[in-house]
Amino acid sequence: MHIPDGFIPIAQCLVYYVILIVALYFAVKWARSNLDEKRIPLLAVLAAGIFAIMSMNMPIPFGTSGHMVGGALVAIVFLAPEAAVLVFTVVLLIQALIFGDGGITALGANVLNMAIIGGFVGLYTFKGLNGIIGKYPAAGVAAWLATVIAALACAIEMAIAGTFPINIGIPSMVLYHFFIGIIEAVLTVIVLAALDKFRPDLLAWNKGDA
Amino acid sequence: MDKKDMTLIGIAILICVVICVLSPYLASGDPDGLEKSAEDSGLAEDFSVEEIKGIPDAIFPDYAFADNPDSQPLQIVALVIGAIITLVLGYAVAEVVKNRN
Repeated sequence: MHIPDGFIPIAQCLVYYVILIVALYFAVKWARSNLDEKRIPLLAVLAAGIFAIMSMNMPIPFGTSGHMVGGALVAIVFLAPEAAVLVFTVVLLIQALIFGDGGITALGANVLNMAIIGGFVGLYTFKGLNGIIGKYPAAGVAAWLATVIAALACAIEMAIAGTFPINIGIPSMVLYHFFIGIIEAVLTVIVLAALDKFRPDLLAWNKGDA
Repeated sequence: MDKKDMTLIGIAILICVVICVLSPYLASGDPDGLEKSAEDSGLAEDFSVEEIKGIPDAIFPDYAFADNPDSQPLQIVALVIGAIITLVLGYAVAEVVKNRN
């Protein structure tokens, strides 16, 4: 769901950049008190892994494709959507500047959808369901819902931008991301399970803050 | 950085390289959810191309070398370069903002 340059008028892009700056302020504040030395390698490898997996578009129905995003994953690993903001600002900046994937002008909107909305929806869905259905089902549902809600937000932004109408944008985006979210859910659970098995010390949920 | 972190980074790089090697061959070329939604609403595929002036060209447009966009080995090179830059920049940003207490 990388929004390219030209899909959002510049004036609206600036609004999303203001949101990005505010989000980065909170993300840095979070990091200053919560990002310990020992979790720096984890943050870096999540960024690199997300960069790589985003190149792996998988086919879904309707002649469409989609890839894992990872906003919910990062937010759940650190139990902080702020971590997703840091990771996605790095990944989306590199993708926009070097690879032309996602617009430079749309960077604020893309961080909003994938990291802020994806991270918040992912983390708080996980927290809400964790005690009821267990951590892996909760993480799967959280990742799926994060994808669908981020897509819904993207459709609303496209409608505000006048790029495509809301009556087509919302059903299309939600329908496609209903399926893309399944990819997101499966991969999020696999990565969390692998981390829990091999490096349980790195998962914030093992520190009892979940 | 201790040995466990070196292992984490080593395995992560390995996984990234595997994905980067497979991606040019396996990744679906179908439009993604947003592009498809744009098509559904009647937007042309190249809608964004002429819209904004002054945006620099990407060094590796669409994860490929600009002068040989169909070469899959070069796409692998572009992806691996991107993953390494992301790893290094992610590490650097984390170092700058980390908890110093």
